[in-house]
Order: sequence, then structure tokens, then C-alpha cells
Amino acid sequence: MFFRNLTLFRFPASVSFADIDERLRETALKPVGPLELSSRGFIPPFGNAAEGDDVAYMHQIERSIWLAIGGEDRLLPSAVVNDQLQKKLAEFETRNGRKPGGKMRRQLKDELVTDLLPRAFVRPVRTDALVDLKHHVIAIDTSSKKSAEAVVSQVREALGSFPALPLNAEVATGTLLTGWLAGDALPAGLSLGEECELRDPGDSGAVVKLQGMELSGEEIETHLESGKQVTRLALKLDDHVSFVLGDDLVIRKFKLLDGAVEQLESSDRDDIRAELDARFALMAAEFDRLFAVLEPVLKLSKAG
Amino acid sequence: MTVADREDLPDIMVRLGDGRTLQLPCKRHSRARRIKLSVDERGPRLTLPMRASVRTAERFAQEHVAWLEAQIANLAVDAPEALRAGVTASLPLRGEWLPARWIAGRVNRVTLADGELLFEQRGNSDSAVRRALRDFYEAQARADLAAWLPKYVGALPRQPSRIVLRRMSSQWGSLAPSGVVSLDLSLVLARPSAFEYVLVHELCHLIRADHSPAFWREVQARCPHWRRERTYFHAEGRALKARLRALT
Repeated sequence: MFFRNLTLFRFPASVSFADIDERLRETALKPVGPLELSSRGFIPPFGNAAEGDDVAYMHQIERSIWLAIGGEDRLLPSAVVNDQLQKKLAEFETRNGRKPGGKMRRQLKDELVTDLLPRAFVRPVRTDALVDLKHHVIAIDTSSKKSAEAVVSQVREALGSFPALPLNAEVATGTLLTGWLAGDALPAGLSLGEECELRDPGDSGAVVKLQGMELSGEEIETHLESGKQVTRLALKLDDHVSFVLGDDLVIRKFKLLDGAVEQLESSDRDDIRAELDARFALMAAEFDRLFAVLEPVLKLSKAG
Repeated sequence: MTVADREDLPDIMVRLGDGRTLQLPCKRHSRARRIKLSVDERGPRLTLPMRASVRTAERFAQEHVAWLEAQIANLAVDAPEALRAGVTASLPLRGEWLPARWIAGRVNRVTLADGELLFEQRGNSDSAVRRALRDFYEAQARADLAAWLPKYVGALPRQPSRIVLRRMSSQWGSLAPSGVVSLDLSLVLARPSAFEYVLVHELCHLIRADHSPAFWREVQARCPHWRRERTYFHAEGRALKARLRALT
């Protein structure tokens, strides 16, 4: 379980996670009901244990907490509903010799959805989150703002109050990334990767995406000279982590590199739980290091 | 509130008193109840209700051409100067005018140091220079918000899901049902107490989604000088928005 994308929110140092396991248990995932479209709730990060075993809804290593939000979505494609509705409408017209009115159409559609929902496939979904109590940050494994906000809402429901706000940079992130690409000194430990996206600030909004190439040379200079600005930039932290930092402050393609993973391979573990535990510990430690590098340079605001 | 429908119509040509013709942008708006001729920092425009005929609108505009000319002339006197790379010598920020210095740089960027704005410029792209200034203003606004927010968010029944800074045409701020607070970027050009009042105003909508006396009591408790700030916006608001539009 390594996170792939990180959407970050900051919360005040006063937020207490003391009895969080109990609170997560109270807002655990319940199976989606036959007439519900979806359900959300906390699930044990290590997965469900065998019957009778007590499962933990959070996992903590030092000052990092691992949470998992599960969900069940019923798949009811609108194309299927509309197709069935057309058949029902045609049936109504043949039987009554007139077209149904708006109210009748809505009623027929509601009846159809009620009929189809219990038979719809249920798709399980899962989003993991890392709560860093040192930096007071929650990192959610998604690049979608909507999914990340849903996770924060879920944590808020569990804790009663969780005044977390999306990460706030007090510098112009796009300008900072453009400067790094143009040759400004990078913070200690960071180096350029091999991917970037540049956007023209003019009305055309032209976008250039470069992948798998060294981020220097005449081609890059030409784009910078024409005024294009970096919107995403691949970076590496030592030889431990590679990631793509966006001007929206979302960290994408977060990947632990050989320098970090070799620590994992050198230890002996025979069960899956120990393996996941070791992976989480490693990821939490690398995230902690990365955040400590990014926080001062991006002037990330504290939440109070 | 439902989203209003808008439809762009072909521009109307109006004959001015001196014989010249003026191209008047024209659109239909579902909430318009009568034909409206208006002039602001974005220029003149004609708004039509959904069912009004274009011919009637043309006649209406022509009948009010004297008024239209007077308004355009008034606005031209106050029109802010556009950003000119390498030339603009001062820029507004937080209710003040700060000296601006231009140098050649690796990228287009603006930094604030010792009360002076240092403008690094690369290449000849006008849009890149304007974008750099816009990004600078946004970062400054975010720094202000970071300083003010902790004072207020703890006591709210729910938190804003996101705060977005953007250029808003007439409003200063808004709160969406999803909890997203939008604030006008030109607030960073206003005096800080006025910017903070708009933030408080929008945050108080998380308590009361109306402008009832109960809502204003919440505002009063957090920002006792809100009336003074509202008067400031009535006097300076249009100029602030026009300034941001001209610069970025």
C-alpha cells in the first residue's frame, strides 16, 4: 500500500485524535442498503480480520495515523434507466392512448429506479489517508478535490469537529516551479525529474507536456522565453522519493525509489500485516521528510 | 436560486453625436425585466429581457445616446492605466501604492521586499508579465487569509471546503452550497480591514445563509467596523475592480 497521489489538508494543532479508534468504529462502513445509491464509512486499514477477531480502524506508528475510508456504490447507468423508461412510456401510451404528463413520467422513473436499484451491481471503493501529527497535515490518496473533501467530511463526522482546510501556499507556486525549471537553486535534497507541463498564460492556453526527457536545453529555454509557466514539475527527494508537484499543490505520482525501498526488502517478514505495517512506516517517514522540505519553500500556512 | 440563462447577441451599432459609430455589446438575460443600458469599467453594454426585440433595443440605445456618451466620458477620466512592462512605476497593494522596479530575470515574477515590488521580466510576452502580477497578488491574498482564518474558523458550525480567489465581475465574495468561498482577487488591492470584512461576511454565511438581522449580529460580533468597510467599498469598489482588470 503506497499512496500514489497526495491531496493535503492542514488542521490546527489543537485537534485531538486521542480516542479516534472508538469514534471511527461508530462511523464504520455499513453495507449499502437495497434502495441506497452509495454508502461511506471507515474500514480497518489492514482489511477485515477473521470472524471473532478484534479489528482496529486505525493504525498508528509514532506520529502518523493510517485511516481507510471505504464505500459501496451501486452502479445504475443512466443509459439503462432511460432505455427502460422509454419502454415504460411507450407501454403507457399504448394502454391509455395518450402521452404521460410530467408528473406521471417522474413517477414512472422513480418506480423504475426503485425496481432496478436492488439488482444493481455494487462497486467497492477505498481511499486511504495519512494523518501526520507532527506537521498537522492529512494526506489523502487521491488527486480529486471532490474525493479528498469527502474524506475530510468523513473524518469531521467521526471527530465531531475537524477544522481542516486545503493546503495554502503563501508564494505563487507556478512561478516558483517555473523558477526551478529555469535554473533557480532547488531546496537541499530536491532535484529535477524528467517530466513537466507548461502552460501559456495567454488566451490560447497552449499546453506543452514533456515526459521522459532531461528538463534542460534549448527546447525548454524556448518555452520559457515565450512566457510559458510550469503547472506540473517532476521532482526527486534524494534517491528516495519521486513525485510530480502541481501548481494546485497536489502531489501526483508519489513513488518510493530504490534508496527507500531497499530498507524494506532487507527485513524479514512473513505475514501480510507485517509487510503492510513496514510499508506504511516507510511511507510515513518519507512523507514527513518531504513535507519538511516543501513547507518552508512553499510557505505553507499553518491552520492555527 | 437558479442559474440565469444568458445569450450573446450580435453587437448593436449606435450613432454618436459627432457622427462616429459605437459598437455596443448586447446580450439577453433570463433575469432581465426591461431593456437596460449600462456602462462600467468593462465598457458599455445593452441587456435585453428574453422576449424583447432587437429592433426595440436598438431604438432604446439610440434614444439614450447622449447619456451613454456622458457616462463613457466620465469613465475615461478615471480609467486606470494598464500594466506596461518596464514602464509602470508603482502598483497598488493593500490600500497603498508601492514603487515598482523592473529588472531582467530568469522568469517573469514579482517579489515584495522592503516596501518595493521587484518585477523580474523574461521575454516579451505581455500576458506572461500580467500573469506573474496576478499570481503575486493571489499569493499575497493567500498570506492575508492564512493570518486571519485561524481567528474565525474554529467557532464556525462548519468549515469552508475551499477558498478560491478569482476575478469577480460585480460581487466581492460568495459562498456556494458546497462550502466553497469565492473572493474577488481585487480585495488584495483594498485596505486590509476591508478585505478581512468580506472574509468575515462570507464565513458568517456558514452560520446564516441569508442577510437577516441574525446574520448581521454574527458579522458585528466579529467585525464591529463592518459599516465603515461597506462605505469604503461603495466609494472605492468600482475603482479597485477596474484597477485589477487593467493590471492583470
